[in-house]
Amino acid sequence: MHMTIKKTLIAAATAAALGSLHTTASAADWVMLQGTEPVGTSSRAEVWGFIQTQYQKNTSDPNASNQYIPNKLVGPQLTSQEQFNVNRARIGVRGAGFPLDDKVNYFLLAEFGKNAITESSSGSTHVTDASITLNHIPGARIRTGLFKYPGAEEGLQAIHVFDYVNFTNVTNQLMLERFSSTYYGANVPPQTLPVVNSLNAFNRPVGAFRDVGIQIFDAFTLDNWEATYAVMIGNGNGLNFGDNDSNKDTYLYLAAEKIFSGTGPLREGLKFFAWSQNGKRTFNGDNSAIGINGAVVEEYDRKRSGLGVKYLARPFRVTAEYMKGKGMIWNGPDKPSFALTTGGGNPNADDNGIFAEASGYYLDGGWYIPSSNWELDLRYDIYHRLEGRTNELEFKTITYGAQYHFNRKTRVAINYEDISATAVNFGALAGPNINLDGVSGVYSVQLTHIF
Amino acid sequence: MKRWSQRVTTLAVALWAVTAYAPAYADAKSSSMADSKVVLQISDNDPSKQELVLNVANNLIEQYGQDQIAIEIVAFGPGMRLLFANNENKGRIQGLTTKNVRFSACKNTITAMTKQLGYEPELNAKAVRVDAGAGRIMELVKEGYVLIKP
Repeated sequence: MHMTIKKTLIAAATAAALGSLHTTASAADWVMLQGTEPVGTSSRAEVWGFIQTQYQKNTSDPNASNQYIPNKLVGPQLTSQEQFNVNRARIGVRGAGFPLDDKVNYFLLAEFGKNAITESSSGSTHVTDASITLNHIPGARIRTGLFKYPGAEEGLQAIHVFDYVNFTNVTNQLMLERFSSTYYGANVPPQTLPVVNSLNAFNRPVGAFRDVGIQIFDAFTLDNWEATYAVMIGNGNGLNFGDNDSNKDTYLYLAAEKIFSGTGPLREGLKFFAWSQNGKRTFNGDNSAIGINGAVVEEYDRKRSGLGVKYLARPFRVTAEYMKGKGMIWNGPDKPSFALTTGGGNPNADDNGIFAEASGYYLDGGWYIPSSNWELDLRYDIYHRLEGRTNELEFKTITYGAQYHFNRKTRVAINYEDISATAVNFGALAGPNINLDGVSGVYSVQLTHIF
Repeated sequence: MKRWSQRVTTLAVALWAVTAYAPAYADAKSSSMADSKVVLQISDNDPSKQELVLNVANNLIEQYGQDQIAIEIVAFGPGMRLLFANNENKGRIQGLTTKNVRFSACKNTITAMTKQLGYEPELNAKAVRVDAGAGRIMELVKEGYVLIKP
């Protein structure tokens, strides 16, 4: 069934992305919005940011030994099933440092909240964006530094206007890259509560859909149509400023959209987009020559691609995106070494993610209740991890959401995620299902204020 | 005959002088006949002020009618960015000029910006250069314009 939907999605989005270059368009142009300032009206330094506070409760049941796996706990600490958290607290400045020449823009942003960016960092804060954009060449703007790479909509869009509390499983697991720990660490077994050994075993921050590199990009408009392209070369090392090898990632992005009305992140329109990423990761993936002073490292391919469509014309919003990946398939925060592996350091093992494949998609719909401040959201997402292998896992989630907008800058989001996780080739209480059985729902409430 | 010729010559010289030194605004005279006259000053670096000054001009036209009010927006200092050719508000500026709103750009500011930039900034084609922004405002106030600095 999901193959049929997948093929339909691919066909529709491909036809749209290719055929609509001259005829279609969409919601917000995130490539242009994040780091590029309006001409003639930019500030020298505009201070801005946002805070997100939240409460989450995971209602999953433990295994027969009363033990929990990460999917049954609340991140990023993974020490309990419910918590209050300051999930994000970001502040930054942006603008044109020399306003007379606003062809040069900058964007600086730092994270002070508690999430997978800061949980695995050496400190409690982390710079998430530090970029300079040169707008001198018509049709070929240049952005350098640390910034969001062009890619999947959920990751590329500004997180403070994201309509849900948590990412879909496909975005979270396939696209939100975890970088294997710099030293060897054994997999962490399921834990009883209170947790003795942290299940979040990574010692580096997640990629946060960002990379350090250089991007050539621009958007072209014709009447109500806008086409955007971006080509980027980056370290492929996430938020880490430097590189750990000589390999570079390449990112390609193409979008075409018909603009209905408005500007900025809440612009209404119909957008078709397609993207791809290609790179290599260098680390000790086969448990070879492990020693105190380091280990022999190897290079492994990491490929991701996807396409999708987003429609926004109040009171309705519809989004669909399909993503797939090959190589470096993440297998959970409790598996910090050997590319996020099980398999005892054997990249070819059936349950090892180094050479594995994965895919998934999501469908999202929103309805802004007329003459009210309420918005209703509904999302379905599915993710196939280690696809085609014995240990293939399938995550299915239906997210029911409501948002109340106090004003244009403040809103509260209430979500319930109905989650099922299954090892498709195993019966109940067999193989991985020993721990996956019992994964159920997550309640969450999140308050966002943008300043 | 000689007298008549002298008169023609004098008239021609006077005509030339009037033409040569007349204000740059072709419709300034007719605008000065309006019931209400307003000069709006934009000299601020704050981008929101750009939008505000255009909003004020638009609101005044809506309230009084474009034939009943004369509006001139004088830009100088950091506010000159409003009249840069590629300013995001160029569409609105174009729209306001069709409603007889005039835009003045201070030459002193342009000279100073040229030194800072290393090249002369390209101005909106609708902007008319005046010797000094502050001087232009004083002239207009003497003519009965009300100065508003949003």
